[in-house]
Amino acid sequence: MTQSEIGWLLALRAADSGEQAHAVEALRGTLQNGLRIVLSGRTDVSEAHIEDFAQESLLRVLARLDHFQGRSKFTTWAQAIALNVAFTELRRKRWQDVSLDALLADGEHLAEPAMIADDVLGTDEDRTRLVAALRHAIEKDLTPRQRAAILGELREMPFDQIVALLGTTRSAAYKMLHDARRALKQRLHEAGITGADIQSAFDS
Amino acid sequence: MKPEDLRLTSDQVGVIVRMLGQTRDREFDCGECRDHADEFAETKLAGLQLNEALALVEHHISICPECREECEALIKILQARQ
Repeated sequence: MTQSEIGWLLALRAADSGEQAHAVEALRGTLQNGLRIVLSGRTDVSEAHIEDFAQESLLRVLARLDHFQGRSKFTTWAQAIALNVAFTELRRKRWQDVSLDALLADGEHLAEPAMIADDVLGTDEDRTRLVAALRHAIEKDLTPRQRAAILGELREMPFDQIVALLGTTRSAAYKMLHDARRALKQRLHEAGITGADIQSAFDS
Repeated sequence: MKPEDLRLTSDQVGVIVRMLGQTRDREFDCGECRDHADEFAETKLAGLQLNEALALVEHHISICPECREECEALIKILQARQ
């Protein structure tokens, strides 16, 4: 850890309230400036939003000071937290009215053969074989929750929203999706379709 | 939503198939990716070689659009500050 990074930590933890307040304000300004760089062009973000995100981020950074390991500059580490705070909230607002029941119901339709047309990727023999194997795997190898989660991803639903709807943790939800992808890949493999085949289906 | 409206488009099927092509037995989840996003952004910007953990970050953001969005935003900020 460099002197600069140690300096940030010392200042933010300083017993001298004046020194600490100065460091907190400097950090707030840095986070706010960074958020402005990436969010100022968005129509759904105002300056007040940026200030709110910076404040929330500041609190989170101060609560996690012990987690900073010095693998990057302190301000880069803190800015990454601020971006997560801001983007998570913006995604949540966009999808807040979606219900789990609706997602599960729509996800169940994924198991129906008609949901993926034979020629959805074209009429080439290899591609239709790939689609048939995929359709079979989605029907046979996935649970309703896995189908719902995959559908949520296809609709570009934020991962946090999928996690919230499923009532689980991010790690558990990621594992559930990872297991689903591995199961589908395994089924394609058993059907004689390799990773190279998948790649070539899109390169040709 | 009506069942006929739920039929997957070629783009959506393409997304699934590409994800399967990129699926590995060992992957970072979003939390692990975030734990290394700061180091990843600085390393990418400096044009340095990625170590094993950062290679897993790169793989994760090839699959996860949200983590990719945040990593790209972080790199954009660092570039603006150079």
